[in-house]
This record gives sequence, structure tokens and C-alpha cells, in this order.
Amino acid sequence: MDLFDPYYLQQLAIGLSLGMTYALMAIGFTLIFGVLNVVNFAHGEIYTLGAFAGLVLITAAAPPIAAVVFAALAIGAFAGFSLERLAFKPFRRFTDEASLKSRAMRESTLLSSLAVSIVVREALEIVFGSQMRSVPFEYLINTPVRVGPVILVTGDFIILGVAAAMLIGLQYLLTRTRIGLSIRAVSNNPLGAKYVGIDTDRTIIMTFVVGSMMGAAAGILVGLYYGAIFPAMGFVPGIKAFVAMVMGGLSSIPGAVICALILGISESMATTFVSSGWSDMVAYGFLILTLIFFPNGLFGAGRERV
Amino acid sequence: MTLRLAALTATAVVGLSVSAHAADVKIGYQLPLTGDTAQYGQDFRKAAEIALDEFKAADKPFKVEIVFEDSRSDAKEGVNIARKFVDDKAIVGVLGDFTSGVSMAAAQVYKEAGLAQLSQTASHPDYTKISKYQFRNIATQAQEGPYNAKWMASKGFKNVAVIAEQTDWGQSVVAGYTEAVKAGGGQVAFSEFFNRGLKDYRSLISKIERAKPDAIYTGFFYEDGAQFLKQLQQLGVKTPVYSTSAAYSPKLLELSGDAADGLHLTSNFLPTNPDPAVQKFVAEWKKRSNGAEPGQFPAQAYDAVRIMLAAVEKAQPNPTRESVRDALAQTKDFPGITGKTTFDADREANKELTKVEVKGGQFAPVKE
Amino acid sequence: MSASKSRPQWVLPVLIGLLVFAALPAVLASFDRGYFYQIANLALIFVLLSASMHLVTGVAGLLHLGHAAFYGVGAYTAALLTTKLGLGFTWTLPLSGLVAALVAFLVALPTMRLVSIYFAVATLAIGQMLYLVMLNWVEFTKGPNGIIVTKGLELFGFSLSGRLATYYTVAAVVVLCVVAIGRLSHSYYGNALRSIREDDQCADAMGVRTVRLKMEAFTLSAFFAGVAGSLWAHMTGYISPGDFKFSESILILAMVVVGGLGSLPGAVIGALLLILLPEGLRGLGDFRNIMVGMVMFLSILFLPKGLLGEVSALRLVRQQLGAAWRRTDNGIGIGWR
Repeated sequence: MDLFDPYYLQQLAIGLSLGMTYALMAIGFTLIFGVLNVVNFAHGEIYTLGAFAGLVLITAAAPPIAAVVFAALAIGAFAGFSLERLAFKPFRRFTDEASLKSRAMRESTLLSSLAVSIVVREALEIVFGSQMRSVPFEYLINTPVRVGPVILVTGDFIILGVAAAMLIGLQYLLTRTRIGLSIRAVSNNPLGAKYVGIDTDRTIIMTFVVGSMMGAAAGILVGLYYGAIFPAMGFVPGIKAFVAMVMGGLSSIPGAVICALILGISESMATTFVSSGWSDMVAYGFLILTLIFFPNGLFGAGRERV
Repeated sequence: MTLRLAALTATAVVGLSVSAHAADVKIGYQLPLTGDTAQYGQDFRKAAEIALDEFKAADKPFKVEIVFEDSRSDAKEGVNIARKFVDDKAIVGVLGDFTSGVSMAAAQVYKEAGLAQLSQTASHPDYTKISKYQFRNIATQAQEGPYNAKWMASKGFKNVAVIAEQTDWGQSVVAGYTEAVKAGGGQVAFSEFFNRGLKDYRSLISKIERAKPDAIYTGFFYEDGAQFLKQLQQLGVKTPVYSTSAAYSPKLLELSGDAADGLHLTSNFLPTNPDPAVQKFVAEWKKRSNGAEPGQFPAQAYDAVRIMLAAVEKAQPNPTRESVRDALAQTKDFPGITGKTTFDADREANKELTKVEVKGGQFAPVKE
Repeated sequence: MSASKSRPQWVLPVLIGLLVFAALPAVLASFDRGYFYQIANLALIFVLLSASMHLVTGVAGLLHLGHAAFYGVGAYTAALLTTKLGLGFTWTLPLSGLVAALVAFLVALPTMRLVSIYFAVATLAIGQMLYLVMLNWVEFTKGPNGIIVTKGLELFGFSLSGRLATYYTVAAVVVLCVVAIGRLSHSYYGNALRSIREDDQCADAMGVRTVRLKMEAFTLSAFFAGVAGSLWAHMTGYISPGDFKFSESILILAMVVVGGLGSLPGAVIGALLLILLPEGLRGLGDFRNIMVGMVMFLSILFLPKGLLGEVSALRLVRQQLGAAWRRTDNGIGIGWR
């Protein structure tokens, strides 16, 4: 088998670009998980909302693409803020020790975010219908680009650029700014953060706003990349982002991105050897193997195991 | 004695009332109105409402009502609805469901209860084999596969790659086509299934291209089809693509733009057909959906509803579940907008297929 | 409290028994609507699924995101045994449970050391892999074509396919299983599982064999899910992979959480709510699923510990279902304090 067969290079490139779309979503997902330590089932809906916000703006005003992304970011910020107020804040009203220890209390936000996601998706289906909606062709970011033996599309470079910018920006935010410092503090120990005078409430809102902006931006970019926007579009990338986050070790955003790429590549490479229907099997098998040999994820640091 | 007399009078009265004016009936329609496949169910409801309104406008001596129930394409809800319909004694016939899975699960209930079920889309090979109560108004792949195989063979394609979605329908697409090709002495270079809703087909396309087929035969609905065609264009693949009537939807063109040009497919419904019945439906459909054209599925649903209504009318003045079933089974040369429909002994509708090619962003019928 | 103490402990079980085996069937029979029977049976099956997940997610505190797959393994076992070997419900019922348990045991071997969210994502992956097998291994499972299950409910050749007979069969199996799950979760065994949930390292240090216990809970829960699968397969007469996809796992999880994590009566109530509600709201047309989401949201907002939280559920069980502390005649204390 010739490894430099252009076929394998092409599959590798496809896998990378597929992985990048998962990574876009995984970044925001991991950020929010890191602070709250609960799965936010509604992240996929934020992604969908971002895509629809962009689509509505495109059909209404046909603005330049930057404005579309900006609209998605604004909706994402708003949606993140509302989501936190609706589905997460109410459950912080119980601060007594019994509630803090209760498993049911800790997992209640799991359900509240799930319920919010059901309501949002159903509402989108009623407003927009559940069919795929097309994006005007001049907005699509899928013009083919030939790089040596491999064919890519413009969107691959845009998504790569955006993901890199997000990653670097986020690392800067988390390590160099005050708000980032407080996010890390709350993520590390919420009670301790509170005692040293950090406004945990505000920090959590900020995390949601930033994470959801990234989710919404991912939604509109992927929507423009594939040229199809529909209410259920956040579901599959949501699962993949979740898997990538855990594989990466929960606390590490670069780890999540790398694992998202691994997932994408393993899916596209698997298509070579098995039927396309089975390719997810390889990705999940890979996940199980990772967890068996690295029970804390590939890039997971020692972490509170609660 | 008095009892017997009362019974006698009762029968007489019932008999009289029936012969005097025909009975009002209900038809059940189970379909996904919410959930991931709601777009299809919503279209079916719209088509059914058009058919029903036309029926009402014709001023028949009896009233028909259609009861719509949402199944979400979920088997457990589909079975619940089936039980509900069976309980309603006024319901003499049932339409739906959309997916074969739900239709098959519900069919077990209708089989037991003896209620005719006519699906506009259920394509599972075993669906009509469940009992004498299952009918469908769709060309099966046992019919469409050989038709397309012949068409492609006439173009000189010897080595064909076949891909289809991993559903019961996709399975029948590959089976129907492969059998026909083998019977004709040809060969299938490559066949594969993909999961419905897959977004990225580029890996699969690269893999197909490595097998260097003359043409690609595909079994997909318009959503997957549009993604596939767009990505085919992105990768610069020029291999001709053939598809089935399931992809025949104006939304395919809307989603894929010029990437759909050159796609060959079959259909049994053309909105451009000058037949007045077709034009009437198309005009009414456009009026109710902001000027969008109907695709293959709504047309099938429209015909299915009209076939059911005709059967109910035929079963008058005393329609029962059994007589409606029998009337349905006798449907012969029903002049629908998807061609003439006749149910054969296996309750399958044999459809006339038309060859279509996408040219300049339009579906255009082709001769050869 | 004193009033309830004076009430004998057999009152509640007898009442529930009467409700399930006498009052409800009487109501169903008086309406004689297949629809009501169907919903009652479906609700019972999901009661069993929710109760079985309660064992893993509620009691042992392990987030399980792949439960529907074991339900599917059970259903497929029943369907394949029926179509390939001609076995009837009498045999497929226990075998479905056993096969599901076996599959669960095999996948649990390497993964049960995982904790918290790592465990959750591992179960998600296992669930998805099993689903992919059902969908794609066409030669064996008939893939998306699904399987028509030719035999209905029966017991040793005696057909139980009438409406009332079906109800009684499903109810008997489900009640039996739920009682078994109740015995497991309201016992020292259940306490050991709860200790894993509260602090697995501490439990380990105290001599609780956490990995083994987790494996047992996971396997047992799969057994009961498999039993539910066999009920569904024989009751519906047709199964396909779509019945066991990820969203079903989430539905079952939602039932357990709405009812109250760690509370078996809660899991039962949650299942009843989430099966009956969508049917009850049919009148709302296309808006009914929004309402289901709203009800879920409001219920968890106002009762974050669930409709019947663990503490109240345990109190109920201890006082009313005979698990309270008492001394036997020879002076040995048994039960819960």
C-alpha cells in the first residue's frame, strides 16, 4: 500500500476538514463543561440557532458575510445568556450542604438543558419547518481549491482559520485576562472562588456567553459550508463534540480540538476499509480504546472525580 | 317476542336510512407532523387537504372527514395511533405512515383489526405481504430497479457503482437494481450503504471514484441527494449519476443548484404535465405553499387520498371496513396525477415511469 | 407520622396490586378501547425500562447514555429466536434478558473502571455501536428491514394475545421485575451501590468492591431492559433499529431524572408521565411536543430533586413497603433504621 497515494492524502484532507467542523463545536462545549461540570444538552440548539440567525439575515438583507457571522455571534451571546438564566441559574438557588451533595440536584441541570433544547428545536420546526433550507449560492464557502493532488474547498481554510483564532483567542482569554482567570478559578473550585471574592454568577454567565457565541459561529459556518440549514442539524455534531471533549480529557480545550480531528480522520479513513454505514463504529471504537488505556482522556490532567 | 320485533324494526330502520342517504365516514391519516421527518408529513397533509377540499366541492351525497394524527416517525406512537384509529368505528380506511418502519409496525394492528391501510410511501418489500389489508401507492424498486438498469444499459454503462441510504428502502434500491443488472449479464462494480443524514459524502465519493465506475446509481431522498451532488461537483467528479423517483423534488434543485445538472432520474409525476388534473393540483399546491412546486411524494399522497376516497364512494351506500378494502382492491386504472393506478393481486400499484434529466436547473423529461 | 406508623405495612403494596391487577384492567375492560390497552402496555414497558435504568443511574449514580441499545438487544434476541428457531415468548422472555445481560457483561469488562462523565461517554459509545450493529449487520439482523415477529404473547403454548391477556402478561412481568429491582435497590446491596454514587474512592477504601458492583448493576439493568425488549417485540409484532436509537436512551434518562434520581417510585412516575403526556396532548396538534418539553422543564424547575425525590421515596418505601427497621422474635434487628 502506497501511503503517498493521492487517494489517502485526499481522505486525510477530508477527514481533517470533517474534524475541523466537529472541533468548532467542541471548543464552546468544552468551555461550558469545564465551568459547570455538567453536560449542556442545549449546545447543539445554540449551534442551530446561530445558523438560522445567519440564514434569516441573509434572506432578509443580503449583507456581507462578516455581518452574517456577527449576527450569529450576537444571537449566540443572547441565547447563551438566556440559556444560563433559564436552565442553569435556577438550580444554584440551593446552596445548603444537603442539596450540594445530592446527586439528583447536580444532575437536574442535565434535564433542564435537555428540556430547553427540546422546546427550542420544536419551536424552530414550527417556525421554519423541519426541511433543509438552502443558503443562497453566493454565500456558500465551498468553492473547490486544488492543493497539489488534493481537492479542498475555501470553507476548509475559513473554518481552519476561525477554529485557530477561536483556540488562540480563548487560550489568551483564559490565561491572560481577569475574566479568564475567574473562569478558571470557578471551574477549579466554585466555592473557593466565591470565598476569594470572585463573582461566580457573573463568571458563569460570561462563560455561557463566550461558549455559546462560539457554538453559534460554528453553526453558521458549517451551515454555509454544507449549504443546508435545518432544525436537527446540531444533533450529530453535538454528540461528536461531546465525545471529542471527553476523549480530550474534559479540561483541555486544545485536547478536545485534537480529538475532534482524530474523530474526523478516523471516520474518513474508515470509509476506505469498511462500508460508510460502519464508519462511525470505528470512531466509537477508537473512543472506547482511548478510555480503556487513558481513563482520564488523552490530555486530561488529574481532576476532581465528581 | 317483543325483543325480536324490536330487533327486526331496528334492522329495517337502519336498512331504510342507509338506502335513503349515504353514510358519512372518516378516514384516518397517520403521518409525521413533528420531528425530523415532519417536512414530509406536512406536505402529505397539505396534499390530503387539497384532495379532500376537491372532494367536498364535488357535492357528494355523503361527508368524509380525514383525521390526521402525528406519529413523529416513531414506531411506538405509530402503533398507538393505529389502535386509536381501529377504535373509532367511523373510520373505514387508513392512510400512511411515511416511513416503512412505522407503517410496518402499525400494519400489524390493521391486519388484526381488518382495516385497510394505504401508504403513499412505504416501500418495504414485505409491507404488502403482511396481510390483504396493506396497499401502497408507490412504485417499488422491483419495478424501478430493472427500468433504470435497462435505461443505463442502453447508454452503454457496463460498470456501475450503486450507493443507497441504509434504510429498508435503500436496501430494496440496491437489491432491485443489482438483480436486474445481473439478469442482464452486466455487473455492479461497487455497492455501499450510507447512513441517512450523513453530511459529508466526500470520503464515499473518493472511494467510489477509486473503483472507476462508468456511472453511479443512487438511492437517496432529496436532502442527501443535494449534499451528494454538491460534493461530487466540489471534487470535480464527472461520472454520470442516475437516481430513483424518490429524489424527484424541486427542493433537490433548490439545495444543490447547478450541481444537479446532468442528474438522470425516473419519476411518475411531472408538474409540467399538461394533463388538466395535474395542472389543477399544481396550481392549488402553489397557492397553498407560496408558489413552490410539488414534488413526487405530495403527488403520491394526493393520489393515495383520492384512491381511498374513490373506494369509500364505491363502497357506499353502506361502507364498512371490509367493503372499503374490497373496493380498494378493485381499483383499476384510477386516473391519478402519478399515472393510472391499478392494484394487482399483491395490492401493489404498478406505476408508469418517466425518464427525467436535470437541465439548466429544471427537470426535463427525456425520450430515450 | 404516628398515623402512618399505625397503618400496617401491607396496605400500600396491596393497594398498588389492586390498582394494577384489578382496578385498571376493570377500567380498561369497561372502555374496551384497544388504544387505552396499547398505551397502558407501552407505559408499563417504559416503567420497566425506567426502573432498570434507575438501578444504574439513580442508585449507583452512573450516567447511562446507551440504555436503549440493551432494550434493542433484548428485542432482537426475541425476534431472532422466534423467526430462526421458532421459540415462543415463554423462552424468549428469559433468554432476551440473559442475552442482553451477557452483552452488557462483555462490554462492561473493559469499561467499568471508568468514572463519572467518562463512564457516560463510554455507555454512549457502546449504545451507538450496538445500534450500528442492528442497523448495518444486514445478514444477521436484517438491518433496516426490521423483523416481523411472527408469534404473539403466549405461555407454554397457551396464547395470551387477547387484549386483557396481553395486559395481564405485560403487567405481571413488569411488576415482578420492578419488585425485584425494588428489592435490589432497597437493601444493603442498594446501599453499597449508593455508596459508590456518593464517593467511590471512600467506598473502595471501606471494602466495597466498586468495580464489581458497578458491573453487576450494569448487567442487571441490561437484563431488565432486555426483558422489556422482548415484551415490545412480541407485543408489536415488528421491530426495526429505529426503535432503539439514541433518542430513546435520552427519553428513558429523562424519565428517571423527572421522577427523581435514586427514587424507584419516581422512576415509575416519570415513565408514566412521559408516555402518557404526549398521548394526552394529541389535541394540541403540532404544538404537543413543545408542551412536553415545557412540562419537563417546569417539573424539574420546581422539583429539582424529581417528582418524588429520593429522600421522600425512601421514607415511603421504608414505612409502607416493609423495609423498616424491626426486631424479629429472636431479637435480631433487620431492615432499615
